[in-house]
Amino acid sequence: MEVEIEFISSNILESKTNTQRMSYILNRIKKNKILVLERGLSSFDESRLIEETMKQIDEKFSGIEISTLKENNAKGVREKLIRILGGKPGGLTVIGPSRLIKKIKKEPERISLFAEFKDSGKK
Amino acid sequence: MDNVPIKRLMNWFKDIFGKKKEIRIGFYGPPNAGKTTLANKISMDWTGEPIGKVSEIPHETREVQKKEKVVIRTGDKSITMNLLDMPGIATKIDYEDFIKRGMEKKEAQIRAKEATRGVIEAIKWLEHVDTALVVMDSTKDPYTQVNITIIGNLEARGIPIIIVANKLDLAESKPEWIEEAFPQHPVVELSALTGNHVEELYEVIAKHSR
Repeated sequence: MEVEIEFISSNILESKTNTQRMSYILNRIKKNKILVLERGLSSFDESRLIEETMKQIDEKFSGIEISTLKENNAKGVREKLIRILGGKPGGLTVIGPSRLIKKIKKEPERISLFAEFKDSGKK
Repeated sequence: MDNVPIKRLMNWFKDIFGKKKEIRIGFYGPPNAGKTTLANKISMDWTGEPIGKVSEIPHETREVQKKEKVVIRTGDKSITMNLLDMPGIATKIDYEDFIKRGMEKKEAQIRAKEATRGVIEAIKWLEHVDTALVVMDSTKDPYTQVNITIIGNLEARGIPIIIVANKLDLAESKPEWIEEAFPQHPVVELSALTGNHVEELYEVIAKHSR
């Protein structure tokens, strides 16, 4: 089984409404893609995504695994400078279908993702 | 939903002009953390009646369960609470997990569907509680996205959070994990099952609730 990992620019998601953003993410996950979002989702976006996921759960789709590394809230000079210049200092979200991702282990500064591909039996 | 600054301003006014006569306390957390066991313990202590049914099978609570006008007394303080026991919040619900626990396929699918509705209901209630008890199983890694999302949502809305490190009665309990993961909030270590240290929770509720 092939697994596609998509790295998604923050520009793509920021140009969409909340509803469009959730649909964009879930449509891809339901095609067995693992998404890495350049900019971490906010807590509100995460709860919206959980709500939308719950609405779409059926026999084929059992939900998502998600983990976000939050951006460093302007603690450093570098982050402040990036913000002043209109940039985005960081943050990252990893999302995928729960039947593919067996576990996401999170630490404050690191995410480990364990996927299982059923036709090969390899981890 | 996102008018957080207005909500915070309202909370600030509430802090300035006094506490509410009744507070809505929401029990949040992942499935099987012991939310209903704790809600039952509190309800039994002060009203003599339980609030809901407890089960080892996840998603036993699939609708918000309420117990209104529960008056607790600690020291010289008295607080009237409306207890809201929320369905566990999860990012996935697989009916096959219920089959593995002995359910028939049809029954498992119905339970899964009800559980998804329960998660949505619990999320919708996030903006309507005055204080949140976030209940965690202290034998498990607390640094999960569900815990982080719940706490992040509550923090953004300015809702007071009390974290409950539950299942202190189990040998593998490590409440210090929870304190390390969420140092910004009060953590009460207790066993909802045995009732051990539940009195400390009442004191913390009296101190931190809005």
